[in-house]
Amino acid sequence: MLVTWRYRERKSLIQWFDPRAWIIFYGCFLFSTLFFWDVRFLTPFLVIALISLLTSGLAWREIRRPLLFIGGFVIVFAFLTFLTGRGGMEVYSEEHLIRRYQTPFTILGWQPSLDVTVERAFFAFSQLVRVFSIAIMTILIPYSLNPALYGITFSGLGLPDKIAYAMDLTMRFIPTFGRDFQLTMDAQRARGYELEKISGGLIQQVRKLGPLIVPVTIHAIIGSEDIVDAMDLRAFGVGPRTWLEELHYRPKDRILIGFGLSILIVSLCILFFGYGGFWVPEALLRTAGG
Amino acid sequence: MLTEGDLQALPRLIVKDLAFRYRDRQSLAIQDISFESQAGEILLIAGSSGCGKTTLIRCVNGLIPRSYKGERSGSILINGQEISDWPLSKISQYVGTVLQDPERQILGTRVLNEVAFGLENLGMSRAEIYERVDEALVYLKISHLRERETFNLSGGEKQKVALAGVLAMRPSVLLLDEPLASLDPASAQDTLDMVRQLADEGMTILMVEHRVEDVLRIRPDRIMFISDGRVRYLGDLRGLGQVVDYQEVKLPVDMILARAAADPQPIEFKPLPGGQLEAGEKPEPLVSFKDVAFGYDADVEVLHGINLDIQRGDVIAVLGPNGAGKTTFVKHAIGLLKPKSGQVLVGGRDTHDASVAQIASMLGYVFQSPSHMLFAQTVHDELAFGPKNLGHKEDQITEEVKEALRIVNLIDKEQDPPLALSFGQQKRVSIAAILAMRSRILVMDEPTAGQDYKNYMNFMDSILQLPGFESILFITHDVDLAVIYANRVLLIAEGRLVADGPPQEVLSDFERLEACRLVPTSLLRANVAQVARTGYFMRAEALAHLC
Repeated sequence: MLVTWRYRERKSLIQWFDPRAWIIFYGCFLFSTLFFWDVRFLTPFLVIALISLLTSGLAWREIRRPLLFIGGFVIVFAFLTFLTGRGGMEVYSEEHLIRRYQTPFTILGWQPSLDVTVERAFFAFSQLVRVFSIAIMTILIPYSLNPALYGITFSGLGLPDKIAYAMDLTMRFIPTFGRDFQLTMDAQRARGYELEKISGGLIQQVRKLGPLIVPVTIHAIIGSEDIVDAMDLRAFGVGPRTWLEELHYRPKDRILIGFGLSILIVSLCILFFGYGGFWVPEALLRTAGG
Repeated sequence: MLTEGDLQALPRLIVKDLAFRYRDRQSLAIQDISFESQAGEILLIAGSSGCGKTTLIRCVNGLIPRSYKGERSGSILINGQEISDWPLSKISQYVGTVLQDPERQILGTRVLNEVAFGLENLGMSRAEIYERVDEALVYLKISHLRERETFNLSGGEKQKVALAGVLAMRPSVLLLDEPLASLDPASAQDTLDMVRQLADEGMTILMVEHRVEDVLRIRPDRIMFISDGRVRYLGDLRGLGQVVDYQEVKLPVDMILARAAADPQPIEFKPLPGGQLEAGEKPEPLVSFKDVAFGYDADVEVLHGINLDIQRGDVIAVLGPNGAGKTTFVKHAIGLLKPKSGQVLVGGRDTHDASVAQIASMLGYVFQSPSHMLFAQTVHDELAFGPKNLGHKEDQITEEVKEALRIVNLIDKEQDPPLALSFGQQKRVSIAAILAMRSRILVMDEPTAGQDYKNYMNFMDSILQLPGFESILFITHDVDLAVIYANRVLLIAEGRLVADGPPQEVLSDFERLEACRLVPTSLLRANVAQVARTGYFMRAEALAHLC
C-alpha cells in the first residue's frame, strides 16, 4: 500500500495558498536560483527559503531527519568542491592563493597538496547558499501539500489526467520505498546480515548489497503491478475523469503567482544584463594579496 | 435484444468450458471450468494454493487476458452477454473485485477519495459521486471513516473501505479473492455478515477462501473445489465432505469427527523435543520482558508494561486483534525495536547491548511477507544466506539447508529461483531460510497466511518435531492453530498483555476472547466440552477417537 508523507494541516504560510500557486511559485524560485552564482543575489532566495521554513509550522522533530540528511549532504558536497576545486573552474578563471598545504611525503614522485584560494572558498560558500535554499524549499513541499490533492493539483497545472495521477503516485512512491527498504533491512538483519560489515572492492560491495536491493526492487515491481490491476479494475484511464476535489484560485494565490513570475523575470533581466555570475568580495582578494 | 423479463430468467453469470494458459507457462492454469451462478447466490471456491482459483477470478473480472497475457478459450457471459470483447471499464461496472489484501487495492489517501476512485474514472458528476460514496459508506456502516486517512485504518477497516470502493460502482457480480486472509476473526465475521447481506439483496458472489469453516457460517449456496485447474466438486456442503479429504480443507469439527473416527488413530507426537528439561534442571528464561513499554512516536505508547518470560519448551501462540501490538511485541525479542522503558533480555543479554545479528543466532524471526527478504538466485543460496552470516561451516550449511527444505516440502525446488515460485511456496522458503539458521528460539509472524490448509498443517507438524528448537512463538489469527499446537497462549489487546497461560485456561474464557475480537471455533468448542476428560486440547482427528 502506498504511504504518504507526514502531512497534517498547519497554520502555515505555504498552506495558506492554493497548492498549484505554491508549485508555480516554487518552479519560479527554483529556476531563478539556478541562474546565479553571486552570493549577493542568492541571499534573498535563502531569506525566502528560511521564511518559508520558519512559517511552515513544522516542528523540529518532524523535519529533523531530512533536514540533517540533506543539510549534511550539501555541506559535504560543498566541502569536496572546496578541496578539489572542481566545478568552480567553469565560473572563475584565476585563483588568489591564501595558503598552500603540502604533505611531507610523496607518492610515486607526486606530492599531494591543497591550495586554499579565495575563489575556491567563496565558490563553495556560494554553492552552499544556492543548494541549501533549493533544498529547504523542496523539503517543505511533501510536508505541506495535502496528499489527497496531489492529483488535482497536477491536473490543475495543465497535465493530462493520466500523467497527473502518475505524478500523484510518484509523490507517494518515495515514502513507500523508504518503508519497504526498512522492512527489508529488518528482515535481512534478522538473518544475521550486517550492512556495516560489508567489505571488499567496489563491485564486491555492490554485490553484497543484493540482499537489500533485490527484494526492495522486486517488491516495488510487484507493488506497481498490483496498483495497475487495482486501477484497471476500477476503470482508470477510460476517458476524462472527474476529480472529486475542487481547487479555486483566490486573489492571494494570484498575487503569489505574480510574485513568483516577477522574481523569474527580474532574474532573467539580471542575467541578460550580465550580472549574477560568480563574485568574490574585493576585500578578500586584497587579503590574499591580489 | 433481451427484455427485463429475459434477464431475470437468465443466470447472472455463466462460465462455459473455460481454459487459460499463461503466456510463459507450458501447462494450462485452468481447464474445463463450467458453471452458472444465479442472482443472490454465494459460490464458495476452495482449493489448494496454485490450483487455479485466482486465475478463474481474473478471467471473470477481465484482467485475463487484458493484463495477464495468454491463451483463453471458452466463454463468460454476464446477464446473457459474452464479455470477452468488453473493455475493462464496462466489465468493472458489472463485476466488482475485492483482492486478498486490501492494502494491494487501496489507492486513495483518504477514505472518501478511495471509495470515489472508480466513479471519478467513469467521469460521473461530483454530486452523483458524493451520493454514491455516502450510500456505500452508510451501507457498510463506516460513514465515520469518511475523512480518515486510509493508511491509518485497521485491517478490518481497510477491507470494508476496499469493499465500499467496489460497491459504489454498483456491480451485479462480486468477486472476493481470499477476503479474510489478513483479518482477525471478529473482522472476518463482520465481512462475512456483509457478504451474506449483499447476496440476500440480489448480488451474485464468488468467494475464493481457504477458511472454509468460517464461510460456512453464512450458508454459501454451493461450494466449488478446484484441484490442478479443474473442478473436482461443485455442489452443496454435504457432498463436499464425501469428495474432499478433511486434511485438504478446513471443515467444521463435526464433519471431521464423523470421518476421522473411521480412519486409523493419529500418531500423538511430543512437541519440541529440544525443549524438554533434564531431570532436576532449573529452567532459565530464554527471553525476558521486564516492564516493557514502547511507542513509535514520542507521545503515543503502543506497548504498555509487558512482563513475561519465555522458557524452554514453550510453544506460544500470540493472539489478538489487528493493530493490537503483536508484531511490535515480537520485534522487541529480536532487538529490531528497543523498549522506551523497561528491558528485554535474550539469553540474559539486554537487547540494547546486542546487535540484531548477534541475537539472530539465538532467535530466528520469520517475517510476515516473504517478498521483503527473498533475493538469491536459487532456493539453496537463499537458505544458506543466514547460516553463512552466522559463521556456520560449509558442510554444516549443506545439511541445514537440506533439512529445512525437507520440512517445508520443497526438496525438489532447491535449484529453482525463489522469486519464480508461487506465493505459498515463497512463504515456505522464507520459513525454511530461518529454520536453516538453527536458532534456539523460532518466532513466526502469521506463518500460515496465504497458505493452504494441508501445507501449513504439514509444516507446523514438522517444525514442532524438530530437535533444535527450545521454544517456538507464533503470531496468528487462527484460533485453531493455538488450540492444536500451543502449550501457552498470550492474548494481546491495545498493547497490553491481557492473558498468559495454557490454552485450556486462556481459550476457555469465551467472553474474554470475544473482547479481544477472537471467535471460538467449532474445534475450540469441542475441546472445551471434552477438556475435563482429556486435560488438554487436541486436534479433531484425536478427538474423534475419544469415544
